[in-house]
Amino acid sequence: MIQQYINSGILEAYVTGSASEQEVKELLYMKANYPEVNIALQELEKDMELIAQQMAITPPERTWDRISDTIDELILRQTSDPDQFTERGDGNGQNFTNPGSGPQYIEVEAESNHMKVHKTWKWVFIAVFVLSKIFLAFAIYFYLENRQAQQQLKEIKTELQRLRR
Amino acid sequence: MLLGYIQEVVKEQAIAEQYLIELFNELKATDIKDMMATGVNTFLRLQQIARKKLSSFISTVEDCADQDEITAKKTINGNKFIDMMGHDQQLVFCGVHYHGKTIVKLAAELNKPEDTIRQLLRESFNIIRNNRNDTAVHQ
Repeated sequence: MIQQYINSGILEAYVTGSASEQEVKELLYMKANYPEVNIALQELEKDMELIAQQMAITPPERTWDRISDTIDELILRQTSDPDQFTERGDGNGQNFTNPGSGPQYIEVEAESNHMKVHKTWKWVFIAVFVLSKIFLAFAIYFYLENRQAQQQLKEIKTELQRLRR
Repeated sequence: MLLGYIQEVVKEQAIAEQYLIELFNELKATDIKDMMATGVNTFLRLQQIARKKLSSFISTVEDCADQDEITAKKTINGNKFIDMMGHDQQLVFCGVHYHGKTIVKLAAELNKPEDTIRQLLRESFNIIRNNRNDTAVHQ
């Protein structure tokens, strides 16, 4: 009976998203209760991946940049336009906790320890790094120069004292 | 892989790229949670979302059932597995996979019982499976 079900073509319809709601419900029940159905489904998923691999195209490098740019844009828009986070039910975009005190952000505690910055900051960081190295080199140079001058001064003083005697 | 699928539907790289970008940008937290769940095939989940998103586009492109289109290999091209399928199998597989048609809709369009459509779809998958080992994975 299970083999008959597997051979009916319903599994193929499910993985291609062409099954009816009733068929999907039935299949999820069968999948949960019969490991054979689950294994057959996994095989079909592999087949689908194989078809996709046959037609795989590597996305151009700019694609990911465009995706991340849009995400950055959305983040910036949310930051500068917090109206969407205010209560709309009783009108005028009133604040959740402090009506009349302007828009307020929903407090969300970030789960990640990482921080996102705009890509342009990369160049700023590089510039700061390079400048700091230049300043460091100058500082060392002037320190050495100064030390040498002090030493020479000391020598001259000693020479003068000797001459006075 | 997803870009390849989208491009196969829309036939133009720039449009396909735009769809791919929109698809990722429109993903909701629940979608991501769903596709990352244990036992869920992430690629297939993304492909389902892509198919849903492409449904409006699909209705404007040539139909798989267009005989001339199939003959000219404009609808499905460059896929060894699909080339190996028979005419009816191609119609069903292409209708379902690239045009997001349901079994019921295809049965009505092709004037065949639903069971026959399912069997044709199953046969298409059998062709893919039987030729898995003969085919290099990447083109």
